[in-house]
Amino acid sequence: MKDVYIVGAALHPVGRHYGKNIDDMAAEVLEKAIGDAGVDVDAVLVASSTAELAERQQLLGSYILESLGLNKTPAFRVENGDGSGGAAISMAYGLLKSEEYNCVAVVGVDKPNDVLSNQQQDIYAAVVDTYFERYFGVTPLSQAALMAKMYLKKYEYRYEDLAQWALLMHNNGVGNPYAYLRRQVKLEDAVNSELVSEPLRLYDIGPLADGAAAAVLCNNRKDGPRLLSVSASTNSTPFNAREDYDVLYSLRDASQLAFKKAKITPRDIATAEVHDSFSILGVLAVEGLGMAQKGGALAAVKDGALPVNLSGGLKSRGNVLGATGVYQLVEVAWQLLGREFKRVDGSYGVIHSMGGVDRFSTVAVVAL
Amino acid sequence: MKHESVPIYWRNIPQYYRLVAKRCKKCGATYFPPVVRCRCGSLELENVELPREGKLVEFTVLYQVGTDFLKQKPLIIGIVELANGVRVTGQIIDAQPNKLTPGTKVETVFRRVVVDGKHGLVMYGYKFRPVE
Repeated sequence: MKDVYIVGAALHPVGRHYGKNIDDMAAEVLEKAIGDAGVDVDAVLVASSTAELAERQQLLGSYILESLGLNKTPAFRVENGDGSGGAAISMAYGLLKSEEYNCVAVVGVDKPNDVLSNQQQDIYAAVVDTYFERYFGVTPLSQAALMAKMYLKKYEYRYEDLAQWALLMHNNGVGNPYAYLRRQVKLEDAVNSELVSEPLRLYDIGPLADGAAAAVLCNNRKDGPRLLSVSASTNSTPFNAREDYDVLYSLRDASQLAFKKAKITPRDIATAEVHDSFSILGVLAVEGLGMAQKGGALAAVKDGALPVNLSGGLKSRGNVLGATGVYQLVEVAWQLLGREFKRVDGSYGVIHSMGGVDRFSTVAVVAL
Repeated sequence: MKHESVPIYWRNIPQYYRLVAKRCKKCGATYFPPVVRCRCGSLELENVELPREGKLVEFTVLYQVGTDFLKQKPLIIGIVELANGVRVTGQIIDAQPNKLTPGTKVETVFRRVVVDGKHGLVMYGYKFRPVE
């Protein structure tokens, strides 16, 4: 089987883009990524979590390609909630490995700011079980809060320790030209921010933001970083029946497989982008990837030098929902290359893209 | 996007009203929400009603809620372990958060969940309240 390379990429700055339609925004980055790659693509995979809910748009791929005059190219939509980006990368990798296609573009896009903030809560809550969770008012935020409460108690941390995650993310995000909230923050800002689902405060949430990212992956050209392995896993245990609330099972299973296939260990990771839609999930992802021991991630954050979410993560770069995984892939590739980011010292990067609160994860290993 | 549709609600009435779960006839594992196939591989599952008494495992006070719950906020969302060990996630009501702790005894009660003012639809379901 042929190897898969990331031969072109483009990012749209994350923010509030009231002046652009969802298909135009996606087309813009797709055009740039294809131009960057200098190749024709055989197929396009579109990752979007909320196109139907926020924009009332289905068949998004067709409208993106219409905007680019790309007739006859097949476009497929991939939806796995806020883990759609990782899912699309996983599908693209499989298509290229099977040699059905030689060059595939993955484009992630979502525009949560096209609806009012109350409606955003409804839309984001679509990733929980609609019959037995959302019906009763349960949201991803409340699930993450329950996990945070149990984690802080179990490992004897204070809320101030958890708030360090937001500080690290904001610190990292300053260096990302595409980030939504590009500013440093103080501990008291986080600790005094609005309580949203105790113990979680406003600073524990990655703000929902508009964004689009694209990457061109090819199996017949050896330009750019190589996609060493991509694995995905679903965690089908309902939230109420979880064995542990401080383990991300979907991440654990996907990463074990991805690391095994790539023949790397957590020690080889020079840079990781993890899905910290809520601070606690980033903490658990760091532990799940083996970058810190169980219960040790917050201590590692405080010590500094944890090479995680150099983009600023969902907290500072912004939570671009279904586009997040594609942002992460491009960010890791560019961090390894030293392109638009400070170059990291090492050859391996990892992305963790997650749908819902540990319902689905993709882990991809990128090598320079 | 707002409230659940009437057919969705109607289908789930046995679960919403009486906490009807599925139990595997082969290994005895009980599932709530109900499933089609047991983890042991068996497809022979029967309906069982869950016990109404339980204890709180953990809870959070949720201030940022969806449009259906704006008038009821904040919500207390808790994980409840029922007497047979099956856990359910839901709202804890008639409670002061500062008096709740893991281990607090609770019982299942039947309550209004969502009211659609436009069409006058009222939808019901289980919630949990502390018992003295």
